[in-house]
Amino acid sequence: MYRSQKLSLRYFGAAVALFGVMIVFGLLSALYYLHPSLLFDVFNFSTSKTLHIDTLVIWLLMGFLGAVYWYLPKELGREVEGMWLAELMFWIFCIAVAIVAAVFIFVQYGSSNEFTLWFINQGRKYVEAPRWATIGIVAVMAVFAYNVVATCIKAHKMTGIMWVLVIDLVPLLVVYLDAFPAITNMSVDLYWWWWLVHMWVESTWEVLIGCVMALVLMDVMGTSRRIVEAWLYIEVMLVLGAGILGLGHHYFWIGTPEYWLSIGGFFSALEPLPLLGMVVHAIYDAGTHRMKTTNRPAFYWITAEAFGNFIGAGIWGFMMTLPQINLFSHGTQWTVSHGHFAFWGAYACGVIAVLYVAKQQVSGVNFLDGRAWKWGFGLLNLGMIGMVMGLLLAGMAQAFFGRAIGGSTLMAFTTASENPWFVSGIYARFFFGVIFAAGYVVLVYDLLTAPKHLPMPQATPEPA
Amino acid sequence: MTPQALLETAVLLGFFVLAGGGYAGLYSIGRLRANIGLVRAGALCWFTAFGIALVVAAATPLDAGWKLFILASALVYAAIPPMTWRYLERLHDDHSPEGAGQ
Repeated sequence: MYRSQKLSLRYFGAAVALFGVMIVFGLLSALYYLHPSLLFDVFNFSTSKTLHIDTLVIWLLMGFLGAVYWYLPKELGREVEGMWLAELMFWIFCIAVAIVAAVFIFVQYGSSNEFTLWFINQGRKYVEAPRWATIGIVAVMAVFAYNVVATCIKAHKMTGIMWVLVIDLVPLLVVYLDAFPAITNMSVDLYWWWWLVHMWVESTWEVLIGCVMALVLMDVMGTSRRIVEAWLYIEVMLVLGAGILGLGHHYFWIGTPEYWLSIGGFFSALEPLPLLGMVVHAIYDAGTHRMKTTNRPAFYWITAEAFGNFIGAGIWGFMMTLPQINLFSHGTQWTVSHGHFAFWGAYACGVIAVLYVAKQQVSGVNFLDGRAWKWGFGLLNLGMIGMVMGLLLAGMAQAFFGRAIGGSTLMAFTTASENPWFVSGIYARFFFGVIFAAGYVVLVYDLLTAPKHLPMPQATPEPA
Repeated sequence: MTPQALLETAVLLGFFVLAGGGYAGLYSIGRLRANIGLVRAGALCWFTAFGIALVVAAATPLDAGWKLFILASALVYAAIPPMTWRYLERLHDDHSPEGAGQ
C-alpha cells in the first residue's frame, strides 16, 4: 500500500466521524422544530444547524481528498509527491475542525467585531468557520493541489482524468477564496457568496466527484478508460455549458436584475436532460457489469448515486426551479428537501462507494459482499427518502399557507409552522432521521468489520 | 398564481421529470433484457410526460415562454434514451475488449 493510501484511510476515518457528527446535529436541529424551546439559553438552533451543514461540507471534502489520495498513485504509478506536507496538512485540518467545532459548541457567538470574525464565527452561511480556519482550509487545498500537480510532473504522465482533475484544481482553490469577503451590502454579498455555493460546492465539486467516479468505475466495474473519460468530458461540457449559468437560480429574490430569473430558470431547467442520459448509462453499466463486479457494496452505492442524483437534483429541483414557483418555495423546507436529496445523490453515495473500495483493498478479499452493508444501504436510503418526503410535505405547507395564502408575513410564517401538514412533515423528518442514523451505525459497523472470504463470482472485471 | 395552482404546477413539473425518468429507465432495462414489453412501457411513460407537458401548457399560469420550454423539453426527452443507448453501444463496441451490446 502506498503512503498516500494510508493517508487516505485517515481522511476516510475523519470523514466518517464527521458524517456521524453531521447526523447528530441534524437530528438535534430537527428536534428544535418539534420543541422550539429545547436547550433554551444553552445551545441555540442556528449553531446546531451550522454544525450540521458545515460538517456536511467538511466530511464530503475530506472524502474527496481521501479518494484522490487513494487513486493518485494507482493512476500515475508512483507515490504522491510531497507526502510529508500532505500528512501535516491532514492533522492541521483535523485539529482546526475540532477547534472550530469546540468554539461553535461552547462559545457559539460573539460581538460584531473583527475578533469574532477571526476567532469565533465569520458570519457567512455555510462558511461560518472563523477566518483563521478558513485560511487553514485554503492551505489544505493548496497543498492538495501541489500534491496532485507535482506527482503528475514527476511521473511524466497525464491521463484524461488527471487533466480534468488538474484543471478543476484551479476553481477548487480560487473560488473558495470567495469565502473571505465581508461586504456590507447584502445583495452584493449574496451575489458573490452564491459563487462559493454554486460554483465551488456544486460545479467544481461535481467535476471532482466525476473524476473520482471515473476512477471508481474502472476499479469496481472494469469499465474501459476511454469510456469513462468520454463521459467525463461530456460532464465537463455540461458543467461549462449549463451549470455555470445555472447559478442564476440562486439569484432569484436577492436584489439582482430581473434577467436572472430567465437565465437561472432556463439553465437550471436544462439539468434534467443530462440526468436522463445518466439514468440510461447507469442501467447500461449495471446490466453489463452486475455479475462481474467484485465489490457489491461499492457497485450498489455507485448505482444509488446515479438514481439519487436524478431524483434529488432532477425531479426535486425541477419542481421548484421556475421563477413563478420559486417565488413561493424559496427558503422553505421544500428547498431543504431538494438540498438533502441532491447532496445525497450527487456526492454522499459516491464517497461511500469509495469507502468500500478502500475496505476491499485493505482487507485483502477478492470478492466483497455480505449482509451488513445491505442493511446499511437500505436504512440510509430509506431514511433519506423518508426525510426528503417529510421535508417536501412541510415545505409545500409553508409555501401554500405561509407564502401563497398568507403573503409571507411573520404571522403567516407562524401559522404555517403550526399547520398540521407542516408539523406531520417535520415529525416524519425526525422519525426517518433516526432510521438514517441507524443506517449510519450499521455502515460504520460494516466498514470496521473484517469481511468474510467469499468465493469469487464466475466472471471478474477486465483490468482497466 | 393562486395557492392551488402553485402546488398543482409544481407537482405536475415533478411528475413530468419523473415520467421522463421512467421512460429512460424502462427503455434501458427493456433494451438490456431485449424485452419489447418494457420498451413499450417506457414509451407509455414518455407519452405520459408529453401529456403532462400539454396539461402544463394548457392549464397552469406559467408564462408562455416556460410552457414552450416544457413542451420542447418533452420532445427532447423522447430522443435522449435511444441516442444515449446507441452512443453507449458504439462506445463499448469500439473500445471494450468484450463489447457490451446486449
